[in-house]
Amino acid sequence: MNKPKIASDWICGCAGCHMSLLDMDERILKVLELVDLRATPITDLKEPDESGGDVGILEGGINNSANEEVAHKMRKRAKILVALGDCAVFGGVPAMRNFCGIEAALKRAYVEAESNEPGSQIPNDPELATMTKTRAVQEVVPVDYNVPGCPPDADTIFYVLAELAQGRKPEIKEELLHWH
Amino acid sequence: MVQITINGKQIEVPEGTTVLRAAESAGVYIPRLCDHEELTPYGGCRLCIVEVQGVRVPMASCTLPVSNGMVVNTETEALKKSRKFILSMLFSERNHFCPFCQVSGGDCELQNAAYHEEMTHWPIQPGWNNFVVDTSHPYFVLDNNRCILCRRCVRACAEMAGNFTLSVAERGAKSMIVADTDVPLGESTCIKCGSCVQVCPTGAIIDRTSAYQMHDKDLTEVKSICNGCSVGCSVKLMIRDNRIVRIEGDWDGSVNHGVLCEFGRYNAINETRKRITTPLMKKNGKFEPVSWEEALKAVSAKLKPLASDKDGIAAIASTRLSAEALTAFKDLFAGSKVVTSLEEGMPTAATVQFAQKQGSFEGKLDVLRTADTVLCFGADIAPTHMVAGFMFKRNMTKGTRLINIDPEESELDELANLSLKPKAGSDLALIQGLQAVIVKEGLERRPMAIPDADARIEAAVRTTGVSLEQLTQTARTLANSITPVILFGKGITAQRDDCLVEELYKLAVLVGIIDSERSGLISIKGLSNSLTAALLGLDQIFKLNGQKAVYAAIGDERVTPSLVERVSKAPYLVVQASYESQLTEQADVVLPVAVWSEQEGHYINLDGRVRTTTKAITAPETVRDNLTVLSDLAAQMNISLESSWKEAILARKSSVALN
Repeated sequence: MNKPKIASDWICGCAGCHMSLLDMDERILKVLELVDLRATPITDLKEPDESGGDVGILEGGINNSANEEVAHKMRKRAKILVALGDCAVFGGVPAMRNFCGIEAALKRAYVEAESNEPGSQIPNDPELATMTKTRAVQEVVPVDYNVPGCPPDADTIFYVLAELAQGRKPEIKEELLHWH
Repeated sequence: MVQITINGKQIEVPEGTTVLRAAESAGVYIPRLCDHEELTPYGGCRLCIVEVQGVRVPMASCTLPVSNGMVVNTETEALKKSRKFILSMLFSERNHFCPFCQVSGGDCELQNAAYHEEMTHWPIQPGWNNFVVDTSHPYFVLDNNRCILCRRCVRACAEMAGNFTLSVAERGAKSMIVADTDVPLGESTCIKCGSCVQVCPTGAIIDRTSAYQMHDKDLTEVKSICNGCSVGCSVKLMIRDNRIVRIEGDWDGSVNHGVLCEFGRYNAINETRKRITTPLMKKNGKFEPVSWEEALKAVSAKLKPLASDKDGIAAIASTRLSAEALTAFKDLFAGSKVVTSLEEGMPTAATVQFAQKQGSFEGKLDVLRTADTVLCFGADIAPTHMVAGFMFKRNMTKGTRLINIDPEESELDELANLSLKPKAGSDLALIQGLQAVIVKEGLERRPMAIPDADARIEAAVRTTGVSLEQLTQTARTLANSITPVILFGKGITAQRDDCLVEELYKLAVLVGIIDSERSGLISIKGLSNSLTAALLGLDQIFKLNGQKAVYAAIGDERVTPSLVERVSKAPYLVVQASYESQLTEQADVVLPVAVWSEQEGHYINLDGRVRTTTKAITAPETVRDNLTVLSDLAAQMNISLESSWKEAILARKSSVALN
């Protein structure tokens, strides 16, 4: 039997959810027995297979045109899309930006921050992605499973991956379910 | 009793029980957010919906009274779906992002409700609108982004504190919790009792000092009694790492039922005075830290020769010390003439003096909850005994009348239906005038001969400056009430004249207060143990008359300038205190002691409830508790402190029955 292909990526998050994934310790070997881990931020392959995969995992919300592209690509190339962590599920901490507006947030970060050199400017290279409101993944593409948590526990991630790898539907509840 | 079936289980509950409470008694949990056991059911959040057989739509169980034969289901698939939908709507309305919320992770009832419904996400994303965050209040922050409009805070403000500061402005999605006419909380009529913080189910109202520090599960809860005033509220001290993180009102407290005042909730946490942690002795005009042994030896060497001289030592103790410490203090200085308390009996002496004739005559605090008329006589309880005020203020919108008699400006004036401003010192004439009106109009509940009623009324009007109309109206209101309560305070007692108390007692007899269990004549007294101090006889005026030494057992009390001034000429001053003050600066020896939360002891509140405070945290190692310091000093001075406080307080009759 072919092992299910799994790809993951991080967008507007902090990489904490992937850290939590690694936090499952030796169980990651069990996961590898069950799945074919393809493109992820922690493997060499950087793009989900064009030929498509079984499960796509996205950490982080969507706050610019580049994130949108990643989300669309992942959705297109995965049969099952998982939103991993509070940023992907709700918007999370980066969504705080939505309350002050993009301009104010950029100004605070690039101009007013105490650590900036005097005269610092907001970057305006046309190559840069266009900023948008921070959104949950499900606001941009349909999501099959939302796995909340900041970050979700390694136990939760292990359970979700193990269930999906064996063709079952994960039910996230009780100890495995938290938004914090 | 009413028979109902909940989830197939037959139970019996008293008539008038709501379905929610009935389910609870049957061990069935119904999710809820706006409901709170101490507040009137509101039916706002709709999360507690249940299916009732024969009823077409789901019903909110928190406002639905049981009826005989009712068949209720709480866990059908349709209900689960509806609850999820209700929560989805709540989450979409404001900004409930958990990762940066203070209550996330166990302390949020909204988050817990979502977990209960196994929600992994919000089916409807929020609208990204910005809501006002009000940070103008010294003790808490109102973050409307986290508000679910359950109105618990509004109800707590009205039903617990009786302050009616919080309300809801606008309608529908625009509804917003506001203070007064939408002014910043810090500039509002808020009296800072913090009841709203205690009942808020989300992170909408958060405590400034304890926020973002730890979850409730990481705190140890210690129950104790507040040592602010003589009301004696039950408190829960939330402790971590030997530090009070937060103080909450104890819902099980027999006096306060969860409510506290500003002092009780915030004083201990916001303490800024500098702690004294080692015994200090003045050598060559400068304080030097010394060992306990050296300090006690020095004090004993000075005091022992004076102990048997009546005019040798003057001793004064805080009425916030425990009954045990006050008894030891009294015994230690039994040979001296001037042994008293900081309050000098101002709030108690006249009352206890009258009790020696009359026996216990005062009513219990609980009558305030059901009083239809409250007469406050020289008792400005708003700043000093706030929680006692809450007990009737909350009923004023339901018709409870307040009559305030006080020559001084008082916070109660604005609230009172009738506010009388007699001339200072005319209280006797006023009370007798009220008696006379009642008898003259035949309104008395018990016959009493009042000679020359007309002359007394005339004298009252002349002496007090109160109009005949106001006098008559006051007398009639009081006499026509079914459950009147008379509260009197320092305005009466500080005159140290038990005749005034006796005349008030007669007035209480005339209007039926003394003969009814639902009414009461109550003296509000002073600090936490002022009644105990009075029963121990520590209620005389502190007047120095050539004494060679002064011993001041202040504890954690604040010192008045008047006391500092009065002891300034003492040749030798020993101060037993927790914090640095102008008094300790003047001392020759300072003995550092534990604060309220670091020691246990007995307290008798204003209506005679005998209870103990709990040692919730450990004092610094070099600090001793008040009783230990007094005992150690007694041992050094070869004085035996054998009396038990329980027997010592029986030396005088109490003005209120002890229990």
